[in-house]
Amino acid sequence: MRYDLGDARIRVPDRINKGDVITVNAIVSHPMDTGFFRTKDGDPIPAYFINEVRVQYGDAEVARFEWTSGISRDPIVSFSLRADREAPLTMTWKDNRGGVFKQSVNIAFTAA
Amino acid sequence: MSDPLGRRSFLQRTAVSLAALAGSKALVSSGRLLAAAPPRWGPEDPEVPNAEVARILRERFGDRPIRRGHVQLDMPAVAEDGRVVPVIIESDLPMTAERYVKGVHLIVDHNPDAHVAGFYLTPELGAVSISTRIKMKRTTWVRCILETNTGDVWAGYTKVLVTLNGCG
Repeated sequence: MRYDLGDARIRVPDRINKGDVITVNAIVSHPMDTGFFRTKDGDPIPAYFINEVRVQYGDAEVARFEWTSGISRDPIVSFSLRADREAPLTMTWKDNRGGVFKQSVNIAFTAA
Repeated sequence: MSDPLGRRSFLQRTAVSLAALAGSKALVSSGRLLAAAPPRWGPEDPEVPNAEVARILRERFGDRPIRRGHVQLDMPAVAEDGRVVPVIIESDLPMTAERYVKGVHLIVDHNPDAHVAGFYLTPELGAVSISTRIKMKRTTWVRCILETNTGDVWAGYTKVLVTLNGCG
């Protein structure tokens, strides 16, 4: 499998009705190196991990996650969201070397 | 195996003395911790194992009691690969504008970086239901501690047996 740093996906249910509490699933490709491992040649692999995640729903920041290298490689996270308006849901992952990765999905209601 | 009895009794004696050593160490350290801080948790809650976890709890929650309840922390009892251990956190606490869970903290007692993650939430989430995957160095207690906007602190604990070190 090709490895694309920062490649991110967000999944929400296909059918959403106004007011539903939905589950949002997200994954981002990142090595999440702890800084404690070494390569086969014995060189230390420096710490490299996502330390902040922000979740924006429309104009509001609805959640913020503070992470360490204790989160597994290619971090997944899921959380709930009350879908009370049609608006984009944007997640931003930031790593300890200044890398910023973004992904959005549109929260839209199923036509009645 | 010419002398199985001798070998067995040697092993037994070693095990007993090791257990005694471990026991006395645990007593000494718990005595120290009790002297340093008044007990803020129930008798069945896991002890604070080291200065790092004590510091995290003090910095995040001050002197507030950490009561068990309202937190469901689902993790495997045995994690074969410490690099990828699934975690599911749920709570029955309300998520309304007036009363909501504002922070969820995941603490792995014997990880090099014990405060693995903090999740800061708002009422817009509608419920507390978080899942992710974490790394674990070795068999240890995992603490999930919730903080509400009114300042209450609730905790759930689970012990996870780790076979393969996932932290290096």
